Amino acid sequence: MLEARAFEPEFLHQLDGLMLGTRRARTHRAGQRIIGRHQGGGIEPENFREYSPGDDLRFLDWNAFARLDDLTIRTFRAERQLEITIMVDASASMAVPADDDKLGLALTLGAGLAFIGMNENDPVRLVAFAGRHGGSRLETTPFRRRRETYVEFRPFVNALKSGGATRISAAVGDLLHERRPPGMVIVISDFLVSPGDYEEALDRLLGARHEVKVLNVMGDRESTGNYPPGNYRVRDCESGELRDVVFGPAAAEACRRRVADHTARLSAFCSRRGIMYAPAFGASHLDEIMAREFPRLGVIA
Amino acid sequence: MGLLNPLNLLYALSLAALLAIYLRARSRPTLEVSSLMLFEEVPAPVAKSRLLRVDRLFWLEALALGAITLAVAGLYVRVNQPAGTNHRHALVFDLGAAMGATTGDHGSSRLDEARHAAAQIIANAPAGDRFTVSGYALEAETFRAAGSGPQEARDALAALTPAAVAARPAALRAALMRARAADQIDLFADRPPPAAAIDDAGLAGRLNFHQVGTPAPNLAIVSLDAGVPRSTVGRCVVRNFSNRPQYCDLVIEAAGREVFHSMLIAEPRAEIVVPFGPLAAGGLVNARIATPDALAADNQRWALAPSIAHAHALVLSRDAAVRDDLARIVLAINPNFLVTAADPDSFKRSQHFDLAIIHDSPDQGVNADSRLLIFPEPPLDGSKRPQLVPVTRSVALAELQERADAGTLSAPVMLGPARVLAPPPWMEPIARGVSVGEHESFPLAAFGFDGDALVGVLAFDVRDHLLLDPDRMDALVLAIDLLRRLVAPRDVLIEPTGSFVTVAAGAHARLTAPDGTMRSLVPDQWGRVRFRTLQTGRYLVTSNVPAVAVYANYYDAGESDLSAPPSASATSSSPSPIAAAGPSRLSVRPIAIPLVILALLALLGESIMLTQRAIRWRASHV
Repeated sequence: MLEARAFEPEFLHQLDGLMLGTRRARTHRAGQRIIGRHQGGGIEPENFREYSPGDDLRFLDWNAFARLDDLTIRTFRAERQLEITIMVDASASMAVPADDDKLGLALTLGAGLAFIGMNENDPVRLVAFAGRHGGSRLETTPFRRRRETYVEFRPFVNALKSGGATRISAAVGDLLHERRPPGMVIVISDFLVSPGDYEEALDRLLGARHEVKVLNVMGDRESTGNYPPGNYRVRDCESGELRDVVFGPAAAEACRRRVADHTARLSAFCSRRGIMYAPAFGASHLDEIMAREFPRLGVIA
Repeated sequence: MGLLNPLNLLYALSLAALLAIYLRARSRPTLEVSSLMLFEEVPAPVAKSRLLRVDRLFWLEALALGAITLAVAGLYVRVNQPAGTNHRHALVFDLGAAMGATTGDHGSSRLDEARHAAAQIIANAPAGDRFTVSGYALEAETFRAAGSGPQEARDALAALTPAAVAARPAALRAALMRARAADQIDLFADRPPPAAAIDDAGLAGRLNFHQVGTPAPNLAIVSLDAGVPRSTVGRCVVRNFSNRPQYCDLVIEAAGREVFHSMLIAEPRAEIVVPFGPLAAGGLVNARIATPDALAADNQRWALAPSIAHAHALVLSRDAAVRDDLARIVLAINPNFLVTAADPDSFKRSQHFDLAIIHDSPDQGVNADSRLLIFPEPPLDGSKRPQLVPVTRSVALAELQERADAGTLSAPVMLGPARVLAPPPWMEPIARGVSVGEHESFPLAAFGFDGDALVGVLAFDVRDHLLLDPDRMDALVLAIDLLRRLVAPRDVLIEPTGSFVTVAAGAHARLTAPDGTMRSLVPDQWGRVRFRTLQTGRYLVTSNVPAVAVYANYYDAGESDLSAPPSASATSSSPSPIAAAGPSRLSVRPIAIPLVILALLALLGESIMLTQRAIRWRASHV
């Protein structure tokens, strides 16, 4: 399975030195919400600026005042503690078609992003979600910050099985019940649900002031419609609904068209909401996806 | 249109298999997908017409299979053949003994009736038609090859004569095979041919069967045993094949003198055993039925009574039991033999014998007119003395499998040790067998003329009373047959019709058949002439050596039974008969080649479509 690659040294070596960029402020360790980059209680000097009333005199640069007779405030880069939650769709659709290994691709990408996040000592956790009995099934790992603890994600990744329906909004609702501070949420899914479901979910994440990134995973065969020609009765692996289909060139073209429409709608929604959207089509293109889409998600060297 | 062999339409079951494959392929396997959002429902009209959907691959394959099936079944068309087109006829006649049976008041035979029907066919045939006249009895024989005109065909019809043998199915099959090229085959016989023979012949053209003859009463002499002169009575068995009682005027003559003459009444389909004698002297015995009946060939029979003159026989063996057994058998054949049984180690070889039986002993120095070698000794190591019948090796256990007069035995007879012989060319094997565990057969008994002397050989050992063992009666029958050949007069032979007869003759040998025809025979390097007896009666071989008379006896229960009611007056095998000849006629023309071409084209089209699919789907196979 592809997810085993997420813990291979060669794979992790590629991710070494990368960091996950963010457009939003990271929280103070104290948990105070501050918008934008701000001076904080860190130890990394960032800049100097002119004193204005109300500034903390502890940061006044007395040496500069003595030489220049100007009051200058020394600013520091804040201590960055950005909670990163990587939500991986573990519904039944992620295991179909079996040879596409969508779940493996999603877990590999999620684990890779977790590793990158841990490069900055940010707390990272993996969350698997799927629908069960009308509700949602949410499996989470503890937040892990140090890279040395990355391997502790392995049992979770290896043991994860797909099953159940895709309920993104329900899973997001369960997640928000935890009332964690705003951070970054990366949703990895095939998004083969009604647009209303994923739009509601993403809106709720944005409403909770999370920075949201979307990784749309699709399989090779699924995205190209490359099924063996002939008459088939297809069954939805989640709903069990049946449909008669004649596979052939026309059906493949129709399938590609539907995938394009579906992703275009998702991408447009993300664009409107300021959500980073990245497609990841085909487990066989893992390296290409990482090279092309990780920068789009804010991964910088 | 029609079919030459509708049975071959069974191959059309392959179409059912194709349909099953097609339906199996058309059944919709269920495929699990991540979401139905990506798939469109099949449009309703297509779904409704699924049962009638045209699948070009299926129809091409069905076309190929159907065409091949029809080609195998022999689909033919009847085409008008313009007048003047040569038509080939094959006239095939049964020449078995029964065809010589006379029917009706005019004394015409069944063969005459067949000739008449054939002459009608020839007369009705348009000018330019060609004829082949052939017959079969023991084997197929062509009297006029294809290309003969009507007159030559009529001449060939006139030359047809029935043989005093039973017609063999194999000969019928061979005759039909020879006639296969003809457009029309007319078969004339007194009984319907076996269907298997017609099927085996694989006829492409039409076959018309003409059954000739009507039920007729017939008496036949089944067997004649002359008995032993002055000792035992002879027996003559007469069989009535009629469903009514028949008068039978039976005459038995011995040495030209009538020994029995009586009018008998034979019960319907029963046998009469007529004892006569004992005869006063040995010699030729002839029995004949003087009452006229349908078939004359089985109305007389010959047998030889052993001579009353004392003859000397020598039995040489180191085994006393073997000497005793062989002496008993010799005396059973002819009680007038004076048998000398001796151990070869103590035997003085100066005396002359009429017959010498030498068991597992050297035959050198034995002075005899005829000799029978039993289990002949293999050559001693280093011995360069030539053997009369060379022995190549010995086997521990031999099986008797085949006898000349009985054919292949239904159950092989286990004999015991035997010698593998290499009989000289002047000897004729009359029995064959194999060594247990081997497949190659070798002669177990042979007979021939070595110059003036008669020599017979039995290759198996007869110790332990083998010849008197009731479970191995075939060995005794074989020994008696061989002894009778050896003690028979040189100038008189009794043989069944249909057998090959070998007679010692000099130069300029001539053969006079029972019907008076004469022909020359060329002796081989051993001074023998060989011919086949096809008529009952006396064959006389004359040359510069004393003449030899061969009396041929005929009896076959199947052929002699003329009372069986005929089936249809004319039946036909496939295809059905066609209309009588006219200015233009229908001709049967098989269309196998166009059908095969059609099948090949269909398969070619299928290949092209599959290749297109492979290219479209970029698959290495479809």
